[in-house]
Amino acid sequence: MTNPVSGDFLAELGKLPPAVTEAYEAVAAAMGDSFSDEELALWAKEGVSIGAQTVRSWESAVEYYRVSPEVARSLAFASFMQWARCGTYLSQDSPTLAVAFFKASPSIVTNLRPQYIPRWAGLGRSLYKGTWKSSTLAARFFEVSPDLVRNLPFWDVEVFASLIEALSYKSYDVAAECLVLGRDVLPGMGREREAFLSMSRALTDSSWREVKSCLEMAPRALQHVEEGQTGRFLRLGEKLAKMGLRDTSRFLYDGAQALAHVSAGSQGHILDLCEGLLATTPDAVPPFLKSLDPVLNRITLPQLDQWYEHGVQLLNDNPESGIAFFKIESNTSEALLETLSSSLELERVKGIMRLYTRALSGANIEVLSTAELVRKQIGWVDQDTASTDGTKVYLPPMVDNYNDKAQNFAWFKVVATHQVSHLEFGSFQFDFTTPANVFDDRRFAMEEAIQARMEAIRTATAEHFRLQDADVGPAVEPADGPGGTMRVFTDIGRFLSLFEDRRMVFDLFSVLEDCRLDYRIKTEYPGIRRPALDVQDSALAYRPRIEELPLQEALIELLVRMSLDRFDGLPVPQEYREEALMLARIMHRLRTVRASIEDTGEAALRAYEIISRLQNEQQPEDEYQPEDLDDPGEFSEEEYEALLDKLQAAMNDQQGEQGDGDPYESPEPVEYRGDFKPEMVQLLTKLQMDQSQMGDAEPMTQEELEQLLQDSAELELDAQEGDVDQSMAMFAQNIMKEAGVPPPSNDPGRGYGPILHDDDAGGELEALEPKTYVYDEWDFRANDYKPRWCVVKEKVLDEGDHNFYNDSLRNYASLLAHIKRQFELIMPETWRKTYRLIDGEDIDLNAALEAWADLRMNVPPDEKIYWRRNRVQRNVAVVFLLDMSASTAEAIDEGRHSVDDRDAPDDPVEYMVWLRRRREGLVRRHYKRIIDLERESCALLINALESIGDTYGIYGFSGYGRENVEFYVIKDIEEQFNDKIKRRIDKVTPLHATRMGSAIRHAITKLENQDAATKILFLISDGRPQDRGYSREGVEKEYAVHDTHQALLEARRKEINPFCLTVDKAGHDYLKTMCGDLNYEVLDDIWALPERLPMLYRSLTM
Amino acid sequence: MVEANVEMLEDEPQYKEFAIEEFLVRSEPYYRAVGDELELFEAAYEQHIPVLLKGPTGCGKTRFVEYMAWKLGRPITTVRQEGQDMGEGEVRVPLVTIACHEDLTASDLVGRYLLDAQGTRWIDGPMTRAVKAGAILYLDEVVEARKDTTVLIHPLTDHRRILPVEKTGNIIEADDRFLLCISYNPHYQSALKDLKHSTRQRFISIEFDYPPVDVEAEIVAKESGCSDEEAHALARLGDKIRNLREHGLAEGASTRLLIYAGRLMTQGISARRACQVAIVWTLSDEAELQRSIEEVVYSIFE
Repeated sequence: MTNPVSGDFLAELGKLPPAVTEAYEAVAAAMGDSFSDEELALWAKEGVSIGAQTVRSWESAVEYYRVSPEVARSLAFASFMQWARCGTYLSQDSPTLAVAFFKASPSIVTNLRPQYIPRWAGLGRSLYKGTWKSSTLAARFFEVSPDLVRNLPFWDVEVFASLIEALSYKSYDVAAECLVLGRDVLPGMGREREAFLSMSRALTDSSWREVKSCLEMAPRALQHVEEGQTGRFLRLGEKLAKMGLRDTSRFLYDGAQALAHVSAGSQGHILDLCEGLLATTPDAVPPFLKSLDPVLNRITLPQLDQWYEHGVQLLNDNPESGIAFFKIESNTSEALLETLSSSLELERVKGIMRLYTRALSGANIEVLSTAELVRKQIGWVDQDTASTDGTKVYLPPMVDNYNDKAQNFAWFKVVATHQVSHLEFGSFQFDFTTPANVFDDRRFAMEEAIQARMEAIRTATAEHFRLQDADVGPAVEPADGPGGTMRVFTDIGRFLSLFEDRRMVFDLFSVLEDCRLDYRIKTEYPGIRRPALDVQDSALAYRPRIEELPLQEALIELLVRMSLDRFDGLPVPQEYREEALMLARIMHRLRTVRASIEDTGEAALRAYEIISRLQNEQQPEDEYQPEDLDDPGEFSEEEYEALLDKLQAAMNDQQGEQGDGDPYESPEPVEYRGDFKPEMVQLLTKLQMDQSQMGDAEPMTQEELEQLLQDSAELELDAQEGDVDQSMAMFAQNIMKEAGVPPPSNDPGRGYGPILHDDDAGGELEALEPKTYVYDEWDFRANDYKPRWCVVKEKVLDEGDHNFYNDSLRNYASLLAHIKRQFELIMPETWRKTYRLIDGEDIDLNAALEAWADLRMNVPPDEKIYWRRNRVQRNVAVVFLLDMSASTAEAIDEGRHSVDDRDAPDDPVEYMVWLRRRREGLVRRHYKRIIDLERESCALLINALESIGDTYGIYGFSGYGRENVEFYVIKDIEEQFNDKIKRRIDKVTPLHATRMGSAIRHAITKLENQDAATKILFLISDGRPQDRGYSREGVEKEYAVHDTHQALLEARRKEINPFCLTVDKAGHDYLKTMCGDLNYEVLDDIWALPERLPMLYRSLTM
Repeated sequence: MVEANVEMLEDEPQYKEFAIEEFLVRSEPYYRAVGDELELFEAAYEQHIPVLLKGPTGCGKTRFVEYMAWKLGRPITTVRQEGQDMGEGEVRVPLVTIACHEDLTASDLVGRYLLDAQGTRWIDGPMTRAVKAGAILYLDEVVEARKDTTVLIHPLTDHRRILPVEKTGNIIEADDRFLLCISYNPHYQSALKDLKHSTRQRFISIEFDYPPVDVEAEIVAKESGCSDEEAHALARLGDKIRNLREHGLAEGASTRLLIYAGRLMTQGISARRACQVAIVWTLSDEAELQRSIEEVVYSIFE
């Protein structure tokens, strides 16, 4: 090896302390491996120039030589020299720096791209400010550099270094500490590092001490935050820091803690809220996040929005109070939380309320949110007021009247009970002709009087016209007066139309009816008395002052108070004391269980007669004296008449003397009693009835309905509220839709005329094609079969994709497991001990004894004296009939299946189950039709049936008209389960109509050929049977229902057990007729179908 | 198998033992007629027509039969003193009640040979004894019994009125006073447990249902000893709960349960609690349903 080193060099080297030379010599030979001679010379020379920089830079030179071989292994010569020169410059500034630089180099050059080396050296250099402390810091930086560079991208290192530099202006110690912390913490931060660094950077300006805390806090804090949200969270911190937030570490900690308590997936929403605040009042963000945890312990996430909104509004008005709000240091905030946390959503108690109302009323009542009623646009407008339309009870979507959930629930119950009492105690059963129980009937005489008066007017008008112009057409009826013919359409309408001021009489009718009902509730349901009193008390608190009302209204208000069970200390105008007492007596008469709705009518009539004869004028305040009206004495018709005569006389005296006083205004509604619309309910019921017995009476036309609505006092009230003024036509249409009346036909001249049944024509049919069958059909009016009336065409369903089948099984995995377990449980039950066998497991003691006895008696003994566990053959054949009618295309209301976390159970095991269920729920959250659930149920069922080995067939049916009853084979009863069947399920789609009878008959044929001990026909439908011509002369439903019933009976006679399962909630009414005493079930919750169907089948065959 | 109407005597042990066919309903059982069932049963008894009692659990079928046995045998119970022999022309109508279960076989009913020290002995089964003694034979929940029992029921229920005893090779003609009476609850959903038409059509059917509110209140008051007001509330509760049949509840609250609740109340248990344990928890295990029924209870009782 040639020595590349010149003598000059050695001389230079010699000037330096001997340690340098030693270092050089130690590595010189090794360096020869990496570099050429020329290069070696340059390398060696650089060492000397390093060493020559300052007095102590020889230490750097030693280090330089020492690390050179290692560095040289990673760097090409050019890069190597660049590196060496960086060292030289550093050494010029501070040998300590250079030493640290060289020391760190071997481990760093392997990880750092050569071109970054100068920048890296520069970073260290920038920390050096010529002081001892700064050189230590810079040296420290080089020390930690290998770790930093190894774990972070270089630009992050740069940012971090500049952060440290910025910190070093404040405190070298802190900067040094942060440097080390950063080395440990930053690598773990992943993609959020950038955000964190910029946040820290922002901090150095305002509160640099925070940086260290943040670094300390970060790893622990951030692990609570969802991965996707950390960046946003940190950027939030950055923005806050830039705006001068001091306690950033606090913020990080609190924020992360708060987010940790928010369920996964919702953190983003919280950050949305934070960013919302940031835009307006950044100061509010930290308190908001800090409060989040305690707040969310009390209210749910959707409620949080409400709380937040409120806070934001406060912020806009007054930032300080807004911040106090978010700190929960203000009463508003506390109160709102209180309200929200105790509020009760209808959704959560709907199931209970539904069963409760059903139990009370005995009717098949649905409980719905008032929002849905308003949406229907048929005359109800107020979302917060409960109501009922006779079959459904509408309750407000949420109650927050009390600071206690239990109390709010009690409110729901009181309201629901009140609504149901309309049904239970017959508010809608008003019959004009039924005599009242506790009052004399005055309305008949009144109607006669009015009719007589009308007649008189009519004659007079006719007379008038004749006199004027004898030749002009027929007499014109006087325009719209009381007792207009249309009002007679409903009984309530007929009654209300007797009065001039329909609104007043209706108000009176409502108040008195509510009073009657509340009294009935109190006697029939003592348990609800206390909450009802509470509710009444709080209703009383909102009543207007009687003294400030004009006379008529004051008297009605008096009635309202009494109806709310307040009888003492009521202000009574002394001049009208007698009238007030009479009103009180009328009301008290209604407070008995004997009082009926007709009594309410009579009471309203009397109250109206009194009040309407008074001037609606404000009375002087001192006129009012408090009085107790709890015992005003017995009502007597004589006294009432005397009073009326007196009033009439007074009225006659006053005639023309002065105006009518103030116009009459309805009393403030009593919230908990909700909307009472007897006329509308009677109208709907009547329309529905007309619809089902079409042909008997001329049904109402839309025009007539509109006229009727215009007259209705109930609607008048709402029209005043502004919404429904102009759209009477739309309104009428909606009502007709609700009642199920078909929309007007486009065919001119036909209107609602009876639908023609062309099908009735024609006679017997023939089965001409293969796979077609002819069946009779039952005509219930003729009480006989129509021979050979329907043609059933059996078709094998097309094959689709088998994924649907597999997906269904997957989606319902947990349910499937459950069902399978249940079905497998059937199996051991089929293992029974069989006694009296010729041979078996053991001797049957009873039989043996008998045989012994027989022997003794010299009777030939029975030789069957053993028992054995024998498999009792489960011998079941079943046919499932799926309704494939068009109506199964109906999308299922998903609203009520909204997923929320409120009901999440605490127990971890339960929680997992719940979570899985919920996921399944999520999977099916997309648009789903009834038929889809039918198909899924089918898949589950097949799976279950295969496990127990019953003989089964699955068929779909649909069709149009009697010559086209389609009977689709999904799995023929003879067929073995195979892939084709999976694929056929995919093709089950909604088709046409439902002629159930013939389909059932064909299914019977299928089952008849089976040789099983138990035969079952399982019908799954979504509504009444319907088909073109499955109907005669407007008795459509009846005919179809009866034919189906007959077909089911035929099955029964052939020892087949029919069972009907329907998902039609309104199914109870016709199923009773259709199934008679045969078994059926109405599935209230369609989502339960996949679960219920196999279980039902199981219980049927056990 | 015998529902003994135990009389409480002070000094003796508190039970009485009867041969099955000698069991007489001695004291008048409380029964409140709702319709014409008394006349119908009496007429059927006179005419030897078997009777099928249809109705839900706990609506009074068994009590009705007891009452009828007492009523039809009434001449003796009023006249006869303790230990005195039967007088001339008196009727005694014993009641043999058999609760049917799925392992009940024909020989359980008819009888069998037993071994004893001397050799063998034939023992009559309850049905044979009832036929011989001229009792009212009441097969409770007959659908539960094994199918081979129908072989016995058929010849007894038509004009023959005979019981063939295969083992002994005898045929027993029924006593003139014998009557077969079965009960059946149509609310079973199992297709396997249904009465065959060939069996059903040998009986007249008397339908039972829960009585109307006022009548039920009377019954509850009488049976439980609670106040009329409480009884009325209980009857109303029963009525309301029965509205939930087919809405998740398999069977409505039976009169028996209402009486239980009433009895608990007379012992000082609060009304709400009594209803909870006697009715709510008995009827359903489903939380929501329980809660709903409970709310009805809370509305009716304070």
